[in-house]
This record gives sequence, C-alpha cells and structure tokens, in this order.
Amino acid sequence: MPTVTVEPSLRIQNLIDVLYEVTPEIEAERAVLITESYKETEAYPMVIRRAKALENILTKMTIVIRDHELIVGNLTTKPRASQVFPEFSNKWLVEEFETLEKRKGDVFLISEDTKAKLREVFKYWEGKTTNELATQLMFPETREAMDAGVFTVGNYYFNGVGHIGVDYEKVLTKGFNGIIAEVEAAKARADKADPDYIKKDHFLNAVLITANAVIAYAQRFAEEARKLAGRTKDVKRKNELYQIADNCENVPANPSKNFYEALQSFWFVQAVIQIESNGHSISPLRFDQYMYPYYKNDLANGTLTAEEAQELLDALWVKFNDVNKVRDEGSTKAFGGYPMFQNLIVGGQTADGRDAVNPLSFACLQATANTKLPQPSISIRYWNKTPDELMFKAGEVTRLGLGMPAYYNDEVIIPSLVSRGVSLSDARDYGIIGCVEPQKGGKTEGWHDAAFFNMAKVLEITINNGLMDGKQIGLKTGEFTSYTTFEEFLAAYQQQMEYLVRLLINADNSVDLAHGERAPLPFLSSMVDDCIGKGKSLQEGGALYNFTGPQGVGVANVGDSLMAIKQLVFDEKKVSLAELKHALDTNFGQGQVQTSPNFSLDQLTQETLVEVIKKLIVEGNNISLDMLKNATNVKVDLGSNKDQEYLRQLLENRAPKFGNDIDEVDTLAREAALIYCREVEKYRNPRGGSFQPGLYPVSANVPMGAQTGATPDGRKAGEPLADGVSPVSGRDKTGPTAAANSIAKLDHHIASNGTLFNQKFHPSAISGQTGLENLSALVRGYFDQKGMHVQFNVVSRETLIKAQKNPEKYKNLVVRVAGYSAHFTSLDKTIQDDIINRTEQAF
Amino acid sequence: METNKGIVFDIQRFSVHDGPGIRSIVFLKGCPLRCRWCSNPESQNKEPQIMFIERNCIGCGRCTEVCPTGALQIVPSFKIDYNQCTKCGKCVDVCYSEALNFSGNTRSVEEVMGELKKDHIHYKRSGGGITLSGGEPLSQPEYAEELLKACKAKGWHTAIETTAYTSGTVLEKVLPWLDLVLLDIKHTDDQKHQEFVGRSNEKILENARYIGQFGVPIIIRVPVIPTFNDGENEIKSIASFASSIKGVKEVHLLPYHRLGENKYGYLNYDYRMKGIQPPTNEKMQGLKKVVEEKGLLCKIGG
Repeated sequence: MPTVTVEPSLRIQNLIDVLYEVTPEIEAERAVLITESYKETEAYPMVIRRAKALENILTKMTIVIRDHELIVGNLTTKPRASQVFPEFSNKWLVEEFETLEKRKGDVFLISEDTKAKLREVFKYWEGKTTNELATQLMFPETREAMDAGVFTVGNYYFNGVGHIGVDYEKVLTKGFNGIIAEVEAAKARADKADPDYIKKDHFLNAVLITANAVIAYAQRFAEEARKLAGRTKDVKRKNELYQIADNCENVPANPSKNFYEALQSFWFVQAVIQIESNGHSISPLRFDQYMYPYYKNDLANGTLTAEEAQELLDALWVKFNDVNKVRDEGSTKAFGGYPMFQNLIVGGQTADGRDAVNPLSFACLQATANTKLPQPSISIRYWNKTPDELMFKAGEVTRLGLGMPAYYNDEVIIPSLVSRGVSLSDARDYGIIGCVEPQKGGKTEGWHDAAFFNMAKVLEITINNGLMDGKQIGLKTGEFTSYTTFEEFLAAYQQQMEYLVRLLINADNSVDLAHGERAPLPFLSSMVDDCIGKGKSLQEGGALYNFTGPQGVGVANVGDSLMAIKQLVFDEKKVSLAELKHALDTNFGQGQVQTSPNFSLDQLTQETLVEVIKKLIVEGNNISLDMLKNATNVKVDLGSNKDQEYLRQLLENRAPKFGNDIDEVDTLAREAALIYCREVEKYRNPRGGSFQPGLYPVSANVPMGAQTGATPDGRKAGEPLADGVSPVSGRDKTGPTAAANSIAKLDHHIASNGTLFNQKFHPSAISGQTGLENLSALVRGYFDQKGMHVQFNVVSRETLIKAQKNPEKYKNLVVRVAGYSAHFTSLDKTIQDDIINRTEQAF
Repeated sequence: METNKGIVFDIQRFSVHDGPGIRSIVFLKGCPLRCRWCSNPESQNKEPQIMFIERNCIGCGRCTEVCPTGALQIVPSFKIDYNQCTKCGKCVDVCYSEALNFSGNTRSVEEVMGELKKDHIHYKRSGGGITLSGGEPLSQPEYAEELLKACKAKGWHTAIETTAYTSGTVLEKVLPWLDLVLLDIKHTDDQKHQEFVGRSNEKILENARYIGQFGVPIIIRVPVIPTFNDGENEIKSIASFASSIKGVKEVHLLPYHRLGENKYGYLNYDYRMKGIQPPTNEKMQGLKKVVEEKGLLCKIGG
C-alpha cells in the first residue's frame, strides 16, 4: 500500500502560525445574537426558537477567511477564540471574568467591552438556562452527593451535550438541498390527524430553517471570497479564492463533486454544529471511509495529485484546531489543554465485515504527522486482519510523541455494541466519540460523557458508614470496625454503590430532561437517523440508538484497596480494622493536608506549614526536629507519625497491586469495576435508551483524587486516582506487558461506553523498525486478550520536566492526557505532575 | 541444590534488547567473573544477599529490633555487620518500605515457568521468547538446562546471554535447547582481560569457537569500557576474532553506562569505575565502522 511521505508545505506552517500567534480570547457575538433572537421569538415553540436563533447567528455573525486558508468557515472572528453559550449556563462565567486571564491552565483573554456585552445579555437568561432547570429537577440528596464529590455531571449540566458523530456522508452525497427534500417528503407523508403531528411539524419546520440557514451561511463565504479575490494582487491566491467561492456556492447545498468540495462541505457541517451548541467531542468518526470515494476518484482521473490532496487534508487538520471552548476553572482541571475531542478514526472493518483500510487511512495519519497538532484526535481501529503496514504507520505517528493515534479493538467493541442492541452491521461501522466512546455515527445520541463517578469515594463512604464531613451522604451500612469477614465489607460496598448510582441516574436524567425541554438542536438532529422520520429532535429521543454513559473513576485504587483489606486485615491479620480506620482518618498521621490543585503557598497557615514539614521529615528529607521547633515554636510529635507511615508502607508494599499481572488483585479490580458497571447498566434514560458504563477519567482522576481522603491502598488524601483502567501511577513495576495483561483481565465488554489504558514509553523502547514491530506486537497481544483501547505517550521524563520549567521553550509539546492530546504547557501544574509521574517504561 | 531449583534474582518482562521480539529475561545469580563495570553487582555472588536501599528507609528501626544477632545498626547510619548476619531474613520481613531486600530467591523451574508463561501471547505476536542471563547463567548449569528444556517444550524462542566462562560439558548440555547465543567478548588481550575481569579469556575464546562449530547462531556482544577496550585497535581485534567464528554475523557494541552504580551502594561494595564517563555517540559510531569493516553487521546497544 503506498505511503504518502510528503512534508508539510509552507502554507500549512503559515496556517499553524496564524492560529498560535495569539492567546485565545472570548467573543460576545454569538451570545448577543442568540439573545436578540430569543427575545423576538418568545411566542414560538422551543425547537423553532432554537432554529431561528441559529439562523440569526449564521446570518449576522462576522465571517472571516484567514490568510492562506483553503478550507473556510469560522466560529469566531479571532483564531482559537471562544463564543459564549448563555442558554446552557452563564453565571460562572461572570464570576470568573477576572480570573480567566490569570488561571493556571486554559487561559482566555476577555476585553472590558466583551464583559459589558455579556453582562447585559446574561440578564435575559436568568432562570431560563438548562442548568437552572436541571437543578430544579434533581432530588436534594442527589445534589448533596454531588457536593460531597461522589460524582459530577458537570459537562452537560453547564454546557451543550455534543459527543456525537453525524451522518456526514448524507451531506456529502445529497447536500442540504437533499435534506430539505427529505423533510418535505416527511411533511407530505404526515397524517395531520396524528396527535403528535403538530410537534413533529414544528421539528420538521425547524430543520428546514436551519438547512436553509447553513446554505445561506456558505453563500456568505462565497461572496467574501470573491470580494477578497477582487482585491488580491497575488495571482495564485486570487485563483485560490475564486476556487473557494465556487466551492462554497455548491456545497453544502448540493452533493460534493470532488475531494476538495467534500472537505469544504464537511467543514461547514463541523463548524455549524459547534455554533449551534458548545457540546464538545463533535467527532468526524470514519473520515477515511466516507471521504475515500472522492479522494480515489480525483486521484484516478488525475484532477488531484497525492501531494495536493495531502495539502488539502493538512489544511483541514489545522482548521480543526481553530475551534475552542471556554470552560469554568473547575472543569479545566478535568479537561485541561483546550481540548475539543474531535475524534477521527481510520481502519477497522466495513459494515459487511471486510478490512476497511485504504490509502486515505494512511494520508490521514500523515496529516497528523505533518501538522503535529492536538486536533483532530486521531485513532485507528484494529482487528485481526489489520495490515502490518497500517500498524507500522500508526507506530511512526505514535513515535512523534503526540500521544496519537489511540488504538481500538474491533474484536471487543463490536460484540459489546451488539450486546447493547446495536445491529451487527451498525456495530461494525462504529467510530469513536471524544476520548474513547464507541458509537455508530449518524444513528446515535450517546450522551457519552454523562458523568464521572468516583468509585474510590464510594469506598471512603463505606468505610465511614455513609457519613462524609458529618453529613449522611450514603447509607448506614455498618461501622467499619464491625466487619468480621472481607465478604461482609464487600457487600456493604456494593450496597453503597447501588444507592449512590441511583442518585447518579437521577442527576443525569434531570440534566437530560432539561436539554430536551430547553435546548433541542434541529440542525444537529437533521443529520442523525431517525430524527426526521420520527419528527423528533435528538434531545427528545429522535435517534435510533439512545444511551447515557457515566464513567467510573478509580478502578485500580478500589481494586488495590480491596486487596489490602482482604489480605492484610482479614487473611494475614497484620493490621486491625480499627488501626486502619484511624490511619485513614488521620491521613496516615499527616492530617488532611491535601495536595489538591487549589493548594498554593500563599494559603499556608502555620498549622499547615507544620504538617507539610512533618511530612517532609517522615519522608526522610534532611530536616531535623530541632530545626522545625526553632523555626515554628511548635511542639511536634513525630513518633506516632512514623508508625502511621510504617502502616502506610505495609498497605502500599505488602499487598499485590493491580497492573503487575497478579491474578488475585487483578480479579478484585475486575470485581470493583463490575460492581459499578452492573449497577449502571440497569437503568434507562428519558430518551428511551439505556445507561451504559465507561471506565475512563479524561483527567478527572486528578480533581477527584483531590476530593478523596486516604484510601486503604496506601494512597494519601488528595493524591490523584488512577487514570482510566490504567494501574495507579508508579505501581506497575513489572513492565508494559504485565500492565496490559492485568488490564485485559477486566471485563471490557460490559464497559461499552469505553475504557482507557494509557501507556508511557521512553522513545528508546520503540526505536527503529524493530521498535515498530514490537509496538505493533504489544498492541496485538493486548488486543488478543480482549483489551479495548490503548494509547501511548512517547516522550522522555526529562523533556517533560524541562517543559514544566521552561514552558516558553516547549509551546508545541503535545502530550496525551487521558483521552486526548493537549499542549503540555497549557495544562495545570498538577496535571503536568501527574503526567510526569506516570510510570515510564524505559529500557 | 536440586536441579529443579535455582537462585534467580530477577525476571524482567518486555525486554526488547536481548534477542528478537518481546522477551522475558531470567537473571540467574552467580558469576565467575568480576568485571569492574558490572551493572548487576548483585548477580556476582551465588548466594542470596541482603541489599539496603537507603532512599526507601523511613527510619522506623524495626529491623534492628528483630535482628537476633545484632548485626544491624541504623544510627548514625545504616550498617550491616556481614560477619554476624545469618541471612535469617527477619529484618527484610518487617521492612515494609522495602529498604531492605533479598537479592536472589530459590525458585523451581515450575515457578519460573509460571511467570514466563504470562507473556506467551506477546512472544508469539512479536517472534520473541525468553533469554537466560545473569550473572553467568551457566554457573547453575543443570537448572539452566531444565529451564531451557521447559521453554522449548512450549515452543518458545530461547536465547542465552553468557560470558562463555564455562566447560565444554556444560555447553554440550545446553546448546541443543538454544536458538541464539549472545556471547560477551571483552578483550582479546589476556593480560588486560585478567586485570579488569579477574579471569583469563582463554577458555572464553575457546568456547566461542566450540559454540560456533555446534551450529547455534551467535551474536558477539562487546561492552565498550573506557580505559579498558574502547580503542579502535582493541575493537578491531575483537571484530577479527568474531569474524573468524562460524555462525557469527552480528556484533553488538554496548556502551558503558552507570545505571548499576547505585546498586554497589546497596551492597556496600566499592565502585571501581567512579568518575568514568560513558563513551560519546561519535566515538561509538567510529567503533561501529571498525566492526563493519570486518564484514559484520553492527548495532550499538542490544
């Protein structure tokens, strides 16, 4: 199979420079336009109001064709800026106006003018947001559990849902004129006496409004391009602009005639979805499949060379990075690095079960190698027939240290989707949403990132008999010291899980209903089956497949903790429950000094300072007690702390740990994951679909760890939880095959919303052709054992430490953080530390 | 010791530099040589040894409390009186922070196979297998033979990393079970060899020829040690010897590294290579050319 080896052109470098020469900014234009429209449409049904609002935005927003661009369609006036979506939530933004520029990660500039405009429009939204409605719908105990840190539904609670891949192929082959015809046919077919007719008709009319609006939006670009062409003296650029104008006149209204038009049509869809809502993870899915006919045709008939096609592809790749989103500071800790999670996947098999790899699969990987940018999140699908050439090409990209591609196993995901009611041919045609979530594109409303659920917190609650900070958050399952067998304790944990998962379901379904009521998305819905057929938006259950996917976080911590309790307390009796409880309550004698991301030096009181220094002494640093006493005038009793640290060492080192291919503990980690997963999959959502669990944290393992006390695995309070299904950072001491084998012992089929295994390599481990072969073999070996997903960070620890110290020198360093890639220097320091600490498998 | 049991000091999985594919390496304890640069000093003595890793010590003092002979002290600094230590292991048992460790455990062939088996899928996918290393794995000849036989019975690729400082009889026993020999040649000059390695190279060179005659493929590995053998002439002489051996197509030049230095501290050994810098990359590239001029393939590193 031919591998394209062209270098990125000067144009691509210029495009990248245009994007990254400015700090991202917040713009008020969309917020102003949507508010203007909403004020005028109060008498209309909500779905029509949403359509008219989008129409107003697309008609009036500033359109920009940036220098050197070949693919056009902007979301914001300035590059990588963020619009504001007041209909979901807005109060937090006002509260954070003054800190947006100063916060540690994901900084945004905001002008005084923008602040004033936003303050003005936000007045209108008082009481009207999805967030406020959802809050009203939740039970009080649900809100308390959320406040206690058991779970967060923050993503959709404060923002649009996103997390979807639409039927791009439909737009490419039929155009929006085709969609309009489809709607007209549905309208003609409808029975006016049907009691649902009125609502259906509203929805279909809304789709017509948005379809026409996107066609008109493209026309504006055609006009702008002609205008610019008229002014440009550079003949080459002039011709390019005329070509852009021709493209925008034809698509996305009509079927695409060639590869270039198809790319342009694709981008309009991608952009407008993200103007309609700020839900992220708008994923192109199987781009190498639906784009290939155009690519193949143009190359075969000679209208495009492979090099020209590559440049267009590279230009689109840069464009993916022009999309941005402002999040609240808390969320930036769980989603650090301006991530947009536009996941694009190549390879795998066709709907009828043949190998799907084609030359465009390679060209997509090459585009990532050429641009070296975090977006799109590129992935590959693997099955037994995946050719070695694709694995090697993927390995070459892996070696660049971008943390991409991520590898997905068809042999697990397809049966897993089938078990959730997806047809075999649809399951074979899956793509990946966002981080790791499998979905059949164009037919699914997956609500994939519904929540992060802190499994370690449930353990903490069980140990505390349902109490957290004096509040009864969980059930009274019994005093920790009262258990006489491990099985009794495990049963109590399971009972707490049952109770707390029910609250999670209540939270998710409240948010779900709020979106159905206040934020139906007619444009997005027009590209997902069977919304037009059913006459229903996605948010009201229009899709063929409906899911809700909340993620369990802390599998390895719970597994390791259960192992320590079972072996050291009950089997070997090396520590009593009372001793363990005391150790956990006192954070192993160190007090509750949390290494939380919010912890900063200026908050240090004398008391915490003493705790910190005590900790340093216990850890063997070279500070004497006398020095401390003289400096602080505080009497310090270290004796008991040493005993506590000794106990912590017992927990940490004398019970096996997940990630080392040891059956006893791997089985308990599997059980821990299953206890969560079996509970979640019992429930249904308001869109007529079911809940399906996932096991990935994005980077929520860091803030969730900060909210979790000491755990029986020897983890101190505040330390990060394990990342996804990966072992606890630093505890996988037996190498990558052992870690992979341990993780493959979990049941990945039941976690059908996705699992995440992060593996870090020193570059020397995979150098040369031998390195590519070994990497490929490791992936195949892990997947033979039914692992679902793996991704690799290939970058040296030294590089990361240097980048942390001299961020200005490492602006372009991209690392994989959990499910996505981000610029390392844009991350919060605690996340940077977490990445640095992940076990490095160096040889 | 029964043939079924041996002293193993480590099993390292996902090794990708000691033979083809993804491999597990079994490190056997005991070595007749005393190379000054040895990066596994805990491998030299055949008996299990207690190692002290200072940075893990939390200063709890429990080791001194349980030691029945009073061989341990931790104030003002940690010390083991090896004359009094009976290696009863009580101190290691109570040292939860893993500052005190036993290097070397007695393990049966079945136990080791249980570990090796865990990666069989990865061996198959990568064309890998197992490698015996040490120490000198052939200093436990019967055990090495049993292990290799068991691995061959599984159909795995087998390799050995050896000094070849052993007898012909031993070689005759293990070679039928081997697919590849990684053979260390350190110097062709016997005097220098004796000075830095502690033994004559005569037997080593003779055994190299013997293995070649036997028909098992050989890769010659040369640790490139500044002050010892990093001159072009010295490498040329080794390359000449290598090219004269039947079955040798490839030479690996392994640049000296200091990763084992801290282990000398754990064992309270003197490190005699202090201050010596690893050879530069340019230097290694130059030496690689010298080897290639002899018509051999040459890799830097394994």
